[in-house]
Amino acid sequence: MEDLLQPMLNGLLLGGLYAVIAIGMTTMFGIVKLVNLAHGDLMILGSYLSLVLVSWLGFNPFWTLLAVVPVMFFVGFFVQGFLLNRVLGKEMEPPLLVAFGLSIILQNLLLLIFTPDARSLMTDLSIKTIPLGGSVNLPVLYFVDFLIGCAVILVLHLFFKNTYIGRAIRAASDDEIGARLMGINTKNIYAYAMGIAMMTAAVAGVLVGMTFTFYPHTGPQYLIIAFGVMIIGGLGSMKGCLVGGIILAEAQLIGAQFAGPGYQLLIGYLVLLIVLGVRPQGIFGKV
Amino acid sequence: MNKTLKYRWHILGLIFVTLSTVPIWGSDYVLFFCLLFFLYASMAQMWNLLVGYSGLLSLGQQAFVGFGGYTMAVLTNYYGVYVWLSVLIGGLFSVLLALFMSLFIFRMKGIFFGIGTWVFAEILLLWFSNWKYVKYGTGLFVKPATPPSMSTIYYAALIMGVGTLITVFVILRSKIGLGLMAMRDDEEVSEAMGVEIFRSKLFCFLVAALITGTTAGVLYVFQIFIQPYKAFAIDWTIVLVFIVVIGGIGTIEGPIVGAFIYVLLSQWLAEYGHVSLLILGIIAITIMLVAPKGIMGTLQEKTGFTILPSRRT
Amino acid sequence: MSESLALKVRDLDIFYKDFQALWNVSLEVREGKIVSVIGANGSGKSTLLNTISGLLDPTRGTIELFGERIDGLPPHETVPRGVTLVPEGRRIFPRLTVYENLVMGSYTPRRRSKREETISKAYELFPVLNERHDQMADTLSGGEQQMLAIARAMMSEPKLILCDEISLGLAPVIIKDIYKRLGQINQEGITIVLVEQDVKRSLKAASQAYVMLEGKIVLEGQPSSLTEEQVKNAYFGI
Repeated sequence: MEDLLQPMLNGLLLGGLYAVIAIGMTTMFGIVKLVNLAHGDLMILGSYLSLVLVSWLGFNPFWTLLAVVPVMFFVGFFVQGFLLNRVLGKEMEPPLLVAFGLSIILQNLLLLIFTPDARSLMTDLSIKTIPLGGSVNLPVLYFVDFLIGCAVILVLHLFFKNTYIGRAIRAASDDEIGARLMGINTKNIYAYAMGIAMMTAAVAGVLVGMTFTFYPHTGPQYLIIAFGVMIIGGLGSMKGCLVGGIILAEAQLIGAQFAGPGYQLLIGYLVLLIVLGVRPQGIFGKV
Repeated sequence: MNKTLKYRWHILGLIFVTLSTVPIWGSDYVLFFCLLFFLYASMAQMWNLLVGYSGLLSLGQQAFVGFGGYTMAVLTNYYGVYVWLSVLIGGLFSVLLALFMSLFIFRMKGIFFGIGTWVFAEILLLWFSNWKYVKYGTGLFVKPATPPSMSTIYYAALIMGVGTLITVFVILRSKIGLGLMAMRDDEEVSEAMGVEIFRSKLFCFLVAALITGTTAGVLYVFQIFIQPYKAFAIDWTIVLVFIVVIGGIGTIEGPIVGAFIYVLLSQWLAEYGHVSLLILGIIAITIMLVAPKGIMGTLQEKTGFTILPSRRT
Repeated sequence: MSESLALKVRDLDIFYKDFQALWNVSLEVREGKIVSVIGANGSGKSTLLNTISGLLDPTRGTIELFGERIDGLPPHETVPRGVTLVPEGRRIFPRLTVYENLVMGSYTPRRRSKREETISKAYELFPVLNERHDQMADTLSGGEQQMLAIARAMMSEPKLILCDEISLGLAPVIIKDIYKRLGQINQEGITIVLVEQDVKRSLKAASQAYVMLEGKIVLEGQPSSLTEEQVKNAYFGI
């Protein structure tokens, strides 16, 4: 039991990071019923943007958020406005395939510019721990990830609840034609929504970059994590996102404690498959 | 147009005779080109059968590519099974894998089905790259007791290419195909015949696994070397998406045209490495935006031209 | 003509692919009046309203709102010009509160500043919505949802309001109440176009009526001058 305390704590904290990885994709799914297959790659794009600022200007990765988050807003706005909106219609394959194409382009573009080498946004935070008594230590970076993850979800929640654009996004996802009749330009609103989703992906990208190493090809791995969080937490639900993130991360870390660290990813995938097989609508989703 | 229809079988026959004599008259380059063309066309036909006709958005075809390929390699290397027999067994093993997968993923719809298949492929990748029996991530060299000649491999590929085409043609013109197309055109029909549609979809999924696994076996007999990071990579599905989208999703001719363009482009772009995938991605997105029905779909819409009508008239 | 025209539709044709839904439809609505468009299911009434509001593009023909051409403009351009549709099936936002639904009605930038003022006006008109203020819209009864749909449309401060089948599926006593409110709205000088299957009620409320059949206008006139026989024949196409 003593041995399990540390992985359980780490899993809880990592869950916060998983939630912020997934929140943008979950939000977009709730609005346009579209799984953005390029979500992971766009997030990694955020990591690389931060890397550029860190290595050129010597900024602390945290400060790069000030630049990366707005840039990613525009990236999202244009991806939705100029690519995905054009193929949004009755059939679901075209937007999926466009997003998939975007994913291929991003991965290979990053590969071309940054080479396949592993990168990271390491700071001195990554090795700091606070002893909590017994053999349990609080990894400071994971804790920061968790706090920022929760903060992002809270801010997003307030945004959707209290602003014109946030409400319009919810209105458009409730009834698209109804929203248009109120004078809401829904295509424009979708572009804003994607911009906002990419702001969260930017935060996730910087945090992931600070916590783990990343390569041009790591995007899909995080897409699958985001997907797992979304499935476990229930489709399009924000609170479910945090819970889903924690469950997935706990399963991975506790599983790895028993089976060995090499199996962390595998266990995550298995949990995802089991949830998909048993409850395709997610644990917290409506039946 | 009537003229082309009248001589349709003559033209097809001529093409077939030309292709089946390539080892006699063709250069090595032509031989390689046609061989790859058949194999990609075959796998793309299967992806098209799933996505374009059955509404099963599979993003995990690489599961069957890798599983079929590895089964072939293991049987040939470790058990000395005759190489073409192990290719066939590889296909059958892929069917078993597909059956097992269907227990989980057939409850999912749309993109969830897609991610489900993808996750399966990722699991297989992790499993094979951590499995001592298949030499972890280092991979296996396929070493048959008597290595088949290049023209034998060519004919195997030709059989896969033509056989797949005939299979798809027969399926689509059968009751199953008619049901699937009725579903594609009108969702209410599909709800009225739910169970039947479920069986038809499962049937197509298994056929796709069989043919994709077998085709992959032939491909790896040709390539000699199999490795989990390549065999189970999402890149396979990327290529299939590219081929089918360019050629025209939901048409029989589409995957053929798309495979031809893909093999041509990939030969041209081969020396540019990753830029080639980048360019393929840009081409695919442009096609989706400009002509979402692909080359053959757009052609059919404009002129009503089909070589192999999938609908009985 | 002394009174100005709120809406002038001329020679409107609409196609859905190969199917023609509207044939040469012309209609005039004078400012401050209630005009009724009646017809059986599928006669093209909703298509007409959807085209005026900008959800559909006319294939041929023109639409003028207070003398300004609006045909082909999307809803987010027609709404600021003063025309709002209360759509068939209400299309309220089920997972937004009553208050938030109303806020969405004042989405267009110029309306936002006067939001609280118009909301209190809406609550005055439909006091029941004030009581439901913080409830999710999908918890309202059918009649309340219809009131919300009308109140939400009023939030955009329209000069012309188009109502599509607002009495569908509601109890007579509620329909009567809603029509009373429509009368109040009209008294404030807002022009109303009513599309109904409920012939009697809408004819009673209107000062001008059009009867549609299979995408064409087959009869028009003042309700008082039309006989029941005429209307019935036009409605059923006898």
